[in-house]
Amino acid sequence: MGAYLRRRTLQTIPTLFGIVVVVFLMLRMLPGDPAVFIAGENASPEALTAMRTNLGLDMPLHLQFLTYLGRILQGNLGQSLMNGNPVAAIVAGALPITLVVGGLALVLSFLIAIPLGAAAAFTASRGHGALDHGVMIAALIVDTIPGFWLALLLMLFFTLQLGMFPATGALDPTNPGAFLARLTLPVAVLAIGQIASVARITRTSVLEVLHEDYIRTARSLGTPEWSVLFGHALRNAALPVVTIAGLSFGRLLGGTVLTENIFALPGMGTVLINAIFSRDYPVVQGTILLYTLMFVAVNIATDVLYTRVDPRVQL
Amino acid sequence: MGFDPATLFRIETENVAFNIYSALTTYDAKTGAIVPDLAEKWDTPDAQTYTFNLRKGVKWQGGYGELTSADVLYTFNRILDPSTASPYRGEFANVESISAPDDYTVVINLKTPDANFLHQVASYHQGQIVKREAVEKYPDQYQLNPIGTGPFMLDRFVQNSEIVLTRFDDYYKGPAKLRKVTYRIIKDDGTAEVALKNREVDLSGTISDNSVLRRLSDDSKLTMNRIVGYAVNLQMFNMEFEPFGKPLVRKAFAHSLDRDAIIHATTPMTGSRSDNLLPEWMDVAAKDMPRYDFDPARAKALLAEAGYPNGFSFKNTGIAVAGGASEADLLRQNYLAAVGMKMDFEYVETAVYNQRRNNGDFQLAGRLLPAVNPDTILFGYLHPNNMAPKGFNSARYDNPSVTKLLEQARSTTDAAQRAELYGMAQKIAMEDLPYLPILQSSTYWPGWASVKNVVINKLANVDFWPVTIEG
Repeated sequence: MGAYLRRRTLQTIPTLFGIVVVVFLMLRMLPGDPAVFIAGENASPEALTAMRTNLGLDMPLHLQFLTYLGRILQGNLGQSLMNGNPVAAIVAGALPITLVVGGLALVLSFLIAIPLGAAAAFTASRGHGALDHGVMIAALIVDTIPGFWLALLLMLFFTLQLGMFPATGALDPTNPGAFLARLTLPVAVLAIGQIASVARITRTSVLEVLHEDYIRTARSLGTPEWSVLFGHALRNAALPVVTIAGLSFGRLLGGTVLTENIFALPGMGTVLINAIFSRDYPVVQGTILLYTLMFVAVNIATDVLYTRVDPRVQL
Repeated sequence: MGFDPATLFRIETENVAFNIYSALTTYDAKTGAIVPDLAEKWDTPDAQTYTFNLRKGVKWQGGYGELTSADVLYTFNRILDPSTASPYRGEFANVESISAPDDYTVVINLKTPDANFLHQVASYHQGQIVKREAVEKYPDQYQLNPIGTGPFMLDRFVQNSEIVLTRFDDYYKGPAKLRKVTYRIIKDDGTAEVALKNREVDLSGTISDNSVLRRLSDDSKLTMNRIVGYAVNLQMFNMEFEPFGKPLVRKAFAHSLDRDAIIHATTPMTGSRSDNLLPEWMDVAAKDMPRYDFDPARAKALLAEAGYPNGFSFKNTGIAVAGGASEADLLRQNYLAAVGMKMDFEYVETAVYNQRRNNGDFQLAGRLLPAVNPDTILFGYLHPNNMAPKGFNSARYDNPSVTKLLEQARSTTDAAQRAELYGMAQKIAMEDLPYLPILQSSTYWPGWASVKNVVINKLANVDFWPVTIEG
């Protein structure tokens, strides 16, 4: 296990390097000059030249890249072009919000999707196709609802009609009630986006397991149905579900970008979008690097989780 | 983003700075007239030498003592210093020298007379006075630690989330009515609408979506604070692009559009008709301008006369927004196609658009230039010295008689005579038509009816000093 972790960690280095190069080059290939954005659309040519020199944007591209790479290796993500704040500080302020929203959404979606998928599989195996079809069609419909539209619908209903949850506002962790109320709608939007795929994969793999001999054995021994389903079938069907969980984390991160923007949450997604539009190169680079790190870490964690779920898996 | 007057721009930031800083002069919120601020009075014999007498006992925020002429000197020299890289340095291009004979007197000598110079020292961008000690205390971070002499102080700025201002109790006009002002940064108009209706916010300053504004105006609990026609939105013809180089083609373009119908159909809340480069409220805005009413037959005839009986194709460069071309753009495209002008769209991101527009790298583009000083608009758009990429003259317009009229007007101290000279320049410009005014833009700060004294000034800013919340 220790050797595996070391190997996997070393393997991520080329991945990270690749991402760093691609993001750096793609940003520079985008038309649009950060100096124009910072100095304002009414800036004079002299002001723009001075601005470019100040920001180091007048250096040849390869020098800019080497400087950037050297800084990353020292753990320095650089400074925002827009306001000179260290990228590390900007990201550190935004990351907890994204992690909390994303983490809650992940947990919520699994709490709903796995029992739903298992129930659908169970009814399907018993020949009650109606419930199974109903659940799967509902999942399909929910899956195709765009997140931003769902966000506005939830706001109209829960914020304006019922007055239950605010649509905007400060995030104050010292007031847990208000904090959770503020996060309910964004977490719901993100979770709903995940439910369909997790429910579907749970259903498929549980259905497969339900036809196995040991399930029949368990039933013939008089084990209660709920115990057969959740104790025996679900446990053995968990491997594909864990895989999907790892992959859907990427989709979830993507979802946080739009959701944060709509609900005016100052998380990583909002930071990223604003930085892209203002061509704030260091902030875009730093944010994407962090997203990459999170994604890679979750995938390693998924692999490690396999060994817990299925002792036959050796790393 | 930050609040250093030397470098800040964009309306949201300007509004924060407007409440933190003061300047020698400021604008009457309702009329746009110049009124005293830090300068109690001023004097100019010839529009070339300006002597300002500062108000005594004005306190700096953050315990930086009392305002003196040294602060004004420092501020203006800082703008002029190339290492500040202020985009507003050009606003002081006409300044010959600045001096402070005593603690409460500032004398500014200009290279050439400018009767509109009081606008350059008003509370906007380069005019807002900063404190040397405060600027030097945070060499790279002053913009996040601004210190002014205005009614509010910056308390907290959480990037992408909120800006909190607290009252400055020693403000020279007396403390503001509100103790605290919190700006919530909400990017989505739909979210802003929900936040306002749910009273998560008392006022909203950036909603421009006409259907959202329409819905808000139907809500009896809300007041639609607004300013009608604060600035003119116009189309800029690149006259180096062959067809647009011909005045007949530009006139044909103007006659082909039913501008009233387009406004009525797409932006009834935020637009009204305009036939001038200057907004109507300006005292030097000329009346009886050439109108270019909707007349497709005439447009066709003008095109044929210009040598384009079969029309031509061109590109309209704009900012990419979700959903592609705006309804107004599509309507314009239809009207133009009806007389043979085929308009293609080229949408780019804001950063690219600003760059291309500054360089004059387009065939047709738009601009909205909010200003109180008529020179900002007239010199900016029409004077050859401001030709792209140096200034706003993206059409590359150069008419010596207009240039002469503008320069004469600027150095004329007699108000009536100056208005007449400006009027003549405006009429010639509208005959030559390097720019076609599309509409006068209105802006809204919808808010709860109990929020009183919200007056939007001609630069679309709101002074929070007199604002109160009843009940």
